[in-house]
Amino acid sequence: MDTSRRQFLRATALGAGALALSPSLDPLAAASREMGPRRFIFIRKSSGIRPLETALVDFSDREKKLDQDKQPLEVALDKHELPVWLRGLDQYKAQMTILQGLSAKMSENVHWSFSSVMGCFKSQRNTLSAIKRTTIDFELAKLFPSPFGHVELSFAGGRTGIVDGYSAPAPQTRNYCYADPETARNELFKSVLNPDAVTSDNDMLSFLQSREGMELTGIKGHEKKRQELHVGSIEAIRERNRKLVSLSDSLKKHVPKLSPVHSDGGPNASTPEKQAAMTDVLIAALVSGLTNVVTYTIDDLGTPITGLPGNETDRVGIHPLGHDEAFGGVPAWKTREQIRISHVKQIKTIVERLEKVPEGKGTMFDNTMVMYFPENGETHHGVGTESPFIIMAGRNCKLDIAGRYIRLPFHGTEGHKTLGNWYTTLLNAHGNPIEHYGDLDVTMQRNKLDQTGAIKRFIA
Amino acid sequence: MMKTHKFTVFVGAYVALTVGSICFSQKTIEAESSSAKARPSEPDIDPMVVKDRALKVLNTYCVSCHGPDKQRGDVRTDTLAELTGDARSGLLNRMHEAVRLKEMPPKGAKQPTDAERKLLDRWLGRELAKTGGGKLEEKLRKPEFGNYIDHEKLFSGEYVDLPGFTSDRRWLISEFIFDAKMQRILDVRTTGEWHGKRVSVFGGHQLRDLSLANPFLLPETSGVRYYAIEDLTGGHLSTMLSNAQKTSVYITETLVKDNRKKNYLPVVRQILSIEDQHETTLISRKQFLEKYIARVCENLYGDKNTELLPKFVPTKLKEKKKFSADDTKKDKPLPIAVAQNQLTKSGGWDVFQQAVLDPANADKTDQEIADLCERVWFYHGDFELDIQGRLALLRDYGSEFRNRVANEKKAKREIDKPLDVVEMQAIHAAIRKHRQHGDRYKEIIEKCVTGWEQQFRQDQINAGPPSEELYGKMINELFLHILERSPGNEEASQYLSVVRGYADKLGRRKAVQKLIQTLLLTSEFAYRGEFGVGEPDEHGRRMMAPRDAAYAIAYALTDQSPDEQLLEAARTGRLITREDYRREVTRILRQRDVYYRVDKNLADRWREGNTTNMPIRELRFFREFFGYPKALKIFKDEKRFGGDRLDNATNRLLEEADRMVAHILEADRDVFEKLLSTEEFIVYHDGDNERMRARSDEIKRIYEYFKDKDWQNFKMEDLTKKHADFLRTVTMRTIDPDKPNGRTRQGNMLQLFKKSMQSITNRMDDGQKHPAPFDLYRGYGNDFLPGYNVGKFWNHDLDNWHYEPVQPAKVLNRKGMLTHPAWLIAHAFNTETDPVHRGKWVREKLLAGTIPDVPITVDAVIPEDHNRTLRARLASATENDYCWKCHKQMNPLGNAFEMYDDFGRFRLVESLEYPEQLLKKGPEQNGDHLVDTRDAFKTLPVDSTGHLEGTCDVSLDGKVTNALDLVDRLAKSRRVRQSIIRHAFRYFMGRNEQLSDSKTLIEAERAYVDSGGSFDAVIVSLLTSDSFIYRKAIEE
Repeated sequence: MDTSRRQFLRATALGAGALALSPSLDPLAAASREMGPRRFIFIRKSSGIRPLETALVDFSDREKKLDQDKQPLEVALDKHELPVWLRGLDQYKAQMTILQGLSAKMSENVHWSFSSVMGCFKSQRNTLSAIKRTTIDFELAKLFPSPFGHVELSFAGGRTGIVDGYSAPAPQTRNYCYADPETARNELFKSVLNPDAVTSDNDMLSFLQSREGMELTGIKGHEKKRQELHVGSIEAIRERNRKLVSLSDSLKKHVPKLSPVHSDGGPNASTPEKQAAMTDVLIAALVSGLTNVVTYTIDDLGTPITGLPGNETDRVGIHPLGHDEAFGGVPAWKTREQIRISHVKQIKTIVERLEKVPEGKGTMFDNTMVMYFPENGETHHGVGTESPFIIMAGRNCKLDIAGRYIRLPFHGTEGHKTLGNWYTTLLNAHGNPIEHYGDLDVTMQRNKLDQTGAIKRFIA
Repeated sequence: MMKTHKFTVFVGAYVALTVGSICFSQKTIEAESSSAKARPSEPDIDPMVVKDRALKVLNTYCVSCHGPDKQRGDVRTDTLAELTGDARSGLLNRMHEAVRLKEMPPKGAKQPTDAERKLLDRWLGRELAKTGGGKLEEKLRKPEFGNYIDHEKLFSGEYVDLPGFTSDRRWLISEFIFDAKMQRILDVRTTGEWHGKRVSVFGGHQLRDLSLANPFLLPETSGVRYYAIEDLTGGHLSTMLSNAQKTSVYITETLVKDNRKKNYLPVVRQILSIEDQHETTLISRKQFLEKYIARVCENLYGDKNTELLPKFVPTKLKEKKKFSADDTKKDKPLPIAVAQNQLTKSGGWDVFQQAVLDPANADKTDQEIADLCERVWFYHGDFELDIQGRLALLRDYGSEFRNRVANEKKAKREIDKPLDVVEMQAIHAAIRKHRQHGDRYKEIIEKCVTGWEQQFRQDQINAGPPSEELYGKMINELFLHILERSPGNEEASQYLSVVRGYADKLGRRKAVQKLIQTLLLTSEFAYRGEFGVGEPDEHGRRMMAPRDAAYAIAYALTDQSPDEQLLEAARTGRLITREDYRREVTRILRQRDVYYRVDKNLADRWREGNTTNMPIRELRFFREFFGYPKALKIFKDEKRFGGDRLDNATNRLLEEADRMVAHILEADRDVFEKLLSTEEFIVYHDGDNERMRARSDEIKRIYEYFKDKDWQNFKMEDLTKKHADFLRTVTMRTIDPDKPNGRTRQGNMLQLFKKSMQSITNRMDDGQKHPAPFDLYRGYGNDFLPGYNVGKFWNHDLDNWHYEPVQPAKVLNRKGMLTHPAWLIAHAFNTETDPVHRGKWVREKLLAGTIPDVPITVDAVIPEDHNRTLRARLASATENDYCWKCHKQMNPLGNAFEMYDDFGRFRLVESLEYPEQLLKKGPEQNGDHLVDTRDAFKTLPVDSTGHLEGTCDVSLDGKVTNALDLVDRLAKSRRVRQSIIRHAFRYFMGRNEQLSDSKTLIEAERAYVDSGGSFDAVIVSLLTSDSFIYRKAIEE
């Protein structure tokens, strides 16, 4: 029986209470107090997004030339037609940004980036010690604390259950993720669906607290303070568990309903079905207030794709597609486009559904940023000179980027911006004054070009 | 706050020890000791009087620069009374530090008397204590403040009568101890390579696939990293909670079920035995049915079996399209290997393979085979999408797949292997009981499994709970396994009650898991205890408890818990005297049959070597002291390096630096001097002189054989016939005269031969005595020793490398670790050298000096200037009155290392690496591994002169011509020796030294000198000193 991996990880799924307690999630609540709630959704895809695929189809000749020559360019989306695969978001052009020209050479390129695309370091083929820093999603989660802090969802590798993720809550620490919709639902809403698990955790902590409390007798000075700190830490965990249980009534309203096809990891669910269900869980986690930050690996090179329009009866592999190897006689580029269309459909659903949830004087989407990007850059074998981002951001977005196609100066030239600049921008705009996030780019260094700090013109 | 960590201001001027010497002025303070010889205590002055006097001092010396008229550094002291909260405590802390560390008033300004300074210090401390906001005392406990204790006083001999001790304490475990504990608990076996053989090693952080997060990571600084000053926080605990959950499940779900580990937690195994046995039975039955249910049912039901199955509904496939003319030309069908991989991944290959291998199907068409498979999948109950995907592949690749099966030598028909009679009876009975008309096989299996699960659960209830005695044994077993001790009676009773509660609520397995989690979350797991026992001596000191001592010794030298001999000594009263300590410490230091992983991070990326058989913390002291492992983290540009595979080169560089240090430690003579000034290094060498020489000789032999032949125009026959006999006697990658079809991505055999010969010729035609034995052409994978580019760090051109097969060996322009590229890279920036930090390192680590933090008002940036050297630019930024008072302690030392670039390469000129200074673009790699890809820029001569001040030895201090001159002088300095010993003290004691440790330090130095420079002698001396073995109770 395959207990070892899947069942083991399923069984070790931290209760809803415990999940909120990652060490990196110590609340830096100042930002959220000042600017109110903010949400971030990072959607990672594999196999690159080619520059031609983000180019607007009706660019003028001049614009087209600039874009192809990798020269700086900025055009309003409302005056242009989106590429076919992005047209599902036509009605949201005003909230959309196509950000082209960021480089990601300091992260891992070619086929995989693992943790590095969200941490700006070389991940040395996913070795634990190479995880140099907390990834950007966890950094943002610190600024906007929530009971779960951060949620990672993933279809990577076609796995199910609770498995290793790509985000990093701290250096040399790998996050876990929920790899199928049913597991994600059951774990996120565990305090409602399985309250006994949370209770038993608290029983254990209660005993531990009393045992450690007894150790306080007869010790003095710094050792006494140390022990008090330890007892206090246990109490803090218990308190947070209690809070989560107290949210049960609210959570019950938002527990997503999943079709039976998703039982046991959903082996017979098609890719569109899986994606739709995972999107439901993602939205429920945000709407119920369980988290403000979600990282969602919508696919990687090992994710099997089934039921895709045009390839309805094929079981498609993303890796062969990246090598232009076709399935069912459908050209690889068409299948790749269909995959992206299926992703855009999820983004649209997220935007639409969050728009319907009132928040403050507006809606939940007003306070949300969705970032969709390839993990490895510009092609199936990314080289990291162009790492595009499609961004959907609500009206309260702290960045001045909406409604535009923005191409930044090319890698290694004056004014070029790296992934590190982009993440620094996100952090600076949301209350973390970090000077620069991530490793520096060696080509920029070699060329003696400034490359640290936020992209100032983006900060509203 | 513990009394022993308090500091008072040093009263009295700096007095140089050595008559006639001029020592560098240092900011130092004097540690207060609760010793018999401590100075008389302060008279108990009325606090109001202290306040008045302190304010008077403040007004006299501070307000003129930090008052209403001027606010230097944006600091104003006269409005202190008006401040509240963080603003007040922030200012008080800054003032406290400036006063205590004598940073203020600045040099040249009017200075307070020592008494005045002390008074102000005392008042500031009291003010901060009122709100608990004082940070200075905590700061001074950190390793980077260790040098603030007056060096001369420590070694003067004036304080040797002060009795040494360490306070009773708990010391948070390090990242290494955490790894070791978890590896022990999870029974993880790691192997490494030692002199060509596989050995079992301690260390590393590969904890199976658990992805445990290490909550005890140490700071990535050079110097002593592991100190007993950290507390267990909520962050540690949260991470440990997650770790504990994973670990407990892994132990109970996997390890105790592993029949190869019969001795692993036998009582837990016994308690879970019924559940485990049931689970094993269930798995076995399920696995059997998954494979053979169709045949079992055919046997059970005969002809009726087909009637009982559901009606077959064939899958409809979408018609295959053809590429249109509009489609990109790049599109192509899946290659057969990829298609097979897809079929395997979708779970269809095995059935297809068996269908093809069945002789009864030999005459069937591809379509008939596909139909047959489809029926198997359909009746089994496979998912529709999977069946569709498989059939689409069989449609497009059916006949190619058949050919592949036919050519697969390992493919065999599967023969039924029935379970034993009783099991088969149970299976037959269950199928008969549960099968219903229309069920697919998968549904039948699920029903059977559900039925068996219910039956097993009832059996478990009927068996009743384990006895109290058994639970008691389990608690003891898990205490020993996790906390390495038995519980006390009361403790055992409490845990018993809790476990029973868990079991009643959650069942046995979960109860065991909760118990494991509880123990892993105790503070006892996270801290190592070091407490005194017995009657205190006249100084209030007690010797460490024997068990604590066993752990203290073990953790001083290794990351592991004490070995059996050490524990036995503690148990039997043989760890209670200094001699007992000496015996055990010496034994462990001499041990060479235990192997350790040197660097867990390096092990992640580098599978070569990285193993030592000396106690790991001995070697780690110098790794951390020199800080060269940081070279792994400095991101470098391959273009500037001059070649690719820089990672491999850096990994090798680091591993060879470790072996060089280990080599010197192994000899254990004049260790400090050799580390600082040896001329012998290890470069691209695995430590096996015979092997390296043999390979180098072989390359030379190939060169000699072919050099006068017209190999450039060879044909294949030349290799397969004419020179075949010779080629059979040598190893040339992919060149085998008996396998002429051999090829790699780089070409066929003939092409590869010429490539190899070109490489060999380039390496030998300048009269090299020995060629470096790296690969003959740049391919994937390595056939001899990876990391050949390491030579570039040492200025070896790959095509002109006079290689030395017997190493360590002399390398030109190098002396000691400070000229080793690993150290130079670790103390450099990504693209430039870093004379400031190199100088700071020398000042602090070797000269026991102190350098204040960069003032927050200073933006420490070296100005850009495309026409000047870095040294010149640095000088323009720092050689002014304000900056120079600190930089004069660093720059003159660090500048001497300008003879090496930021890759650690020796140089006479500095490249001005700016686009407008480019002379010539370097070549691209293009598959040639001997090429140097660097761009050429205009250059300026390098000035590596410097100035040494601070050895307190007039024969050594003074102008230095370059780094080689500098390290020569440093190696001869007594102060340097003492400084290294001070760092060793901190490393092994986990704290900063104080004046009561004076005797310990002096004796450690004497041990070093008397033993001819043995570092082992220093360790023995430190670990048998009063400072180590005596503990004092903590006071409020």
